[in-house]
Amino acid sequence: MRRGMSYAVEMREVSAYYFGEKKPAIIDVTLTIPINSLTLIVGPNGAGKTTLLETILGLLEPRRGNIRVLGHDIPREAAKIRKLCSYLPQDFMKPPGEPFSVKDVVAMGIASNREFGKLGNEDWKLVEEALTMLGIAELADRPIGRLSGGQQQKVMLARALVRKPKLLLLDEPFSALDEDSRRFISTSLLPKLIDSGCTVIMVSHDASFTPPRCDLTIRMEEGRIVGVVSHDLRSST
Amino acid sequence: MKLSTIAFTMAHAALAGSAMSLIFEIDPILLGGLFAILTAFIMGPFSDYLRIPLDSASMTLFSIYNALTFIFLMMAPGPTLASEKVGQILWGSVLAITPTYLLILFTLTSIYVSILYVFWGRICSILFDPKLAEAEGVNVKRYTYLLTALAGIVIVFTLRITGGFLVFSLLFIPSASSLQISESLKKQILTSSIIGAMASIFGVSLSFSFNLPVGSCIVIGAAAIFLAAALLSALFRRRIVEAIPLEQR
Repeated sequence: MRRGMSYAVEMREVSAYYFGEKKPAIIDVTLTIPINSLTLIVGPNGAGKTTLLETILGLLEPRRGNIRVLGHDIPREAAKIRKLCSYLPQDFMKPPGEPFSVKDVVAMGIASNREFGKLGNEDWKLVEEALTMLGIAELADRPIGRLSGGQQQKVMLARALVRKPKLLLLDEPFSALDEDSRRFISTSLLPKLIDSGCTVIMVSHDASFTPPRCDLTIRMEEGRIVGVVSHDLRSST
Repeated sequence: MKLSTIAFTMAHAALAGSAMSLIFEIDPILLGGLFAILTAFIMGPFSDYLRIPLDSASMTLFSIYNALTFIFLMMAPGPTLASEKVGQILWGSVLAITPTYLLILFTLTSIYVSILYVFWGRICSILFDPKLAEAEGVNVKRYTYLLTALAGIVIVFTLRITGGFLVFSLLFIPSASSLQISESLKKQILTSSIIGAMASIFGVSLSFSFNLPVGSCIVIGAAAIFLAAALLSALFRRRIVEAIPLEQR
């Protein structure tokens, strides 16, 4: 992360296309997301919310426009910046035959940030802490494919958190969680994370759900940003 | 990621190369190896450039190599399919194993195991979810190409023993058997290696005892182990289900 930086994400007139598509998945997106904030991206299915997250990470290269994430150009410096980010994908469910245990899956989150991907004792302690934080420490040795949808989603969230990210991108993070888990994550876990220096961008198709701490709400429709509400200023554009 | 499909294609690339070597009357390992290594390096970019899944790219190349194999075999000088050289490529030969050859196989195994050991965390991450691994900064392409190239080299050297038609059976059947009896990836790798070794010992013994093709005997051995593993797995699952009270099932 670069010093003196006030925005975690800056996008200017960005359009991105999926391969073979003539219509852009996101069109002329211009937005700025301040550091140490929680931004909620809402909109109906197919609005371009997931594409926006993928474009921020450089997984989808923009055909037009400029992107800067934590002060670095995307996609040119994507490989470097991804090590500072964590991503919780929307499609996380694994089949029962998946040969990885819960602790293995969480440890994978650290592997990309270590030389040759080798993990030490300290790393395994971090894995244990992340599992404990989400109340699933007792599942550490279970195969991930044998867990319920909600438990698997917590494991994937633990994998995202164990990386101690500067930018956390969550795609429908509450889709499989029960009410208590949603409340704990939105009222306790995420605010603590933001206070510790992380910026959170969260996608949701559920417009009725707004986390208690939400600095910015962006509404998307058909690949475009159609509304931005800053909850500090309570103004809309 | 369908590594098994990729390995299947690599085996056929090596087979096509070996068949081509019959036309030029050179060592099958040279052209077999060249075809396999080239495939390892073109399969990824081919899939990326055309934006088709890696397993679709593999199966397209597999069909091409299959066609090429038969064309090369028909073009080979001498009585096609009946000659000893063609037989060696298609069905393998235990006589092809020399001390140098064993040393090469041992070196390759050591290299493969070392790479798995050093890059285990990242390789697991790619196997679990390549897109997520990429989002976390893992160079998915680099590791995939590396593993594919190594798989190709191993297949080329195994080709002499089992033959082109059966080399992929030895790749798949032990891993399918290990899935029946092991849950974690580490155990699956270990048990499939042990099963492969057991099947080879069984196959070579059978081949010598009844004067049968060694490749076919190894595959029959592997299939027998697979059957035993499947029965064991079914029995074990039944016991687990029986141990659970009816109301909890």
